[in-house]
Amino acid sequence: MTAPTSDASNILEKRAQFFEKVRRFFKNRSVLEVDCPALCASPSIDAHIDVMEVLLIDGQRAYLHPSPEYGMKRLLCAYGKDIYQMSHVFRDNENGPLHKPEFTLVEWYRCNMPFSFFIEETLNFIRLFLGKQKAIILTYREALMRYARIDPFHASPQELYSSMQEGLSPEAALWDKETLLQLLFSIHVEPHLKELTVVIDYPKEQAALSRVSMKEGIEVAERFEVYYKGIELANGYHELADAKEQRARLCKENEKRIALGKSSFPLDEGFLHALEQGLPDCCGVAAGFDRLLMLHLGGARLEKGIGHAHGHGRGHEREELF
Amino acid sequence: MVQVSTNEFKIGMKVEIDRDPYLIVGNDFVKPGKGQPFNRTKLKHLISGRVIERTFKSGERIDLADIEESKMRLLYREPESVVFMNDVTFDQLTVPKSLLANKEQWLMEETLYSIIFYKGQPISVEPPTFLEMNIVETTPGLRGDSSGRVLKPAKTETGAIVQVPLFIEEGEKIKVDTRDGSYVGRV
Repeated sequence: MTAPTSDASNILEKRAQFFEKVRRFFKNRSVLEVDCPALCASPSIDAHIDVMEVLLIDGQRAYLHPSPEYGMKRLLCAYGKDIYQMSHVFRDNENGPLHKPEFTLVEWYRCNMPFSFFIEETLNFIRLFLGKQKAIILTYREALMRYARIDPFHASPQELYSSMQEGLSPEAALWDKETLLQLLFSIHVEPHLKELTVVIDYPKEQAALSRVSMKEGIEVAERFEVYYKGIELANGYHELADAKEQRARLCKENEKRIALGKSSFPLDEGFLHALEQGLPDCCGVAAGFDRLLMLHLGGARLEKGIGHAHGHGRGHEREELF
Repeated sequence: MVQVSTNEFKIGMKVEIDRDPYLIVGNDFVKPGKGQPFNRTKLKHLISGRVIERTFKSGERIDLADIEESKMRLLYREPESVVFMNDVTFDQLTVPKSLLANKEQWLMEETLYSIIFYKGQPISVEPPTFLEMNIVETTPGLRGDSSGRVLKPAKTETGAIVQVPLFIEEGEKIKVDTRDGSYVGRV
């Protein structure tokens, strides 16, 4: 066995240190650590998250969780306690300097905490890694107006397409508004979010599992994302508790999947049943541990936060594939 | 036409876009939050060399370009074209000089070149990375200066102008890097 390089062993030690820091952060706040299973009988349903399927020896199908969200929400319904989980999660077809098919996510839920307090707590969590940093709060609309000079709530798909036309194929003129907005945001806004920034008030089409409320006459999602150096670090919601609405959104995601030529999935009835019993009023967020550690160590590629110990269970020679 | 998914994109892959052949020179995966993932690529036109940016929805499929490459030896030149021959099949190919652009200065008889074909038609001629050439014209060298730090222009047998150290004389043979036209060493 070869000795690890000093850089790789430094990453290992830092990872261990930060596992401890994360646990202390939540212990100090009386948030209970939980470990929902990674292997699930029903997958979570997101149009753009490709769940990894596992074939068990008896022929049954199971799925590796892309986040522990459904499991944790079932616990919230049953016990109503503040909980966190630090776990490896799996998302297929995500490869790049800032994306790996397996990564470490820290996810937590706080009951009866005002949304603004919860955002501040998330920032404090991020400051564990980045040190003391002032944070800027921008609405989704302000961010797009400032950096792309487009009002996301009133622009037509044609205007969105025209603003990016150069780098797009003619077929992109037929993409829907949501897709065009997401592209515009990721190429014209995200790179500018260099300081610690919280983006709030997302369009309701991008609500995912958050509540929707009226703000200045426009329906917005009670969702936030945290950015630093142009990198997305955390994604949080004031969690949707309405089981009916949740069911409708899952069906919609399934429809989107079919439109994208992907397979649809059966709904997780256990999860929906738990919501029917009542999810406490809560906020939840998921933060990317490896990205935070990478930034702490001053890297620009995820390897810097993961180290060689996590070669996706593959040998060195294959690592560059990811 | 053979197709490839954005998930299989790699730098160096040759693809066809808007009926033109391109080389992938950059490929970034971006994914906003839980949203639609995209591949943002930089593509170099295989004939004009122009670089464009193109963004695809991840999972989209596009055509691979029908590109072939073959090694051919330069036989002789004509006023408006150059004739190459395949060493194995003895096939001859006449390439118009207009395809060569600034590579004409790297044409030497008896040398092997890579000819790139798109849909069976030659579209470019790639010289070997290093060529050994004779100096046919340069100012006399200064005796004693062998540092190689000071350079002067010199003309090679193919007409290329290369910056060489002062000690290089007419009639000497040098090695040149054809990628940037720089002097590598004396042969």
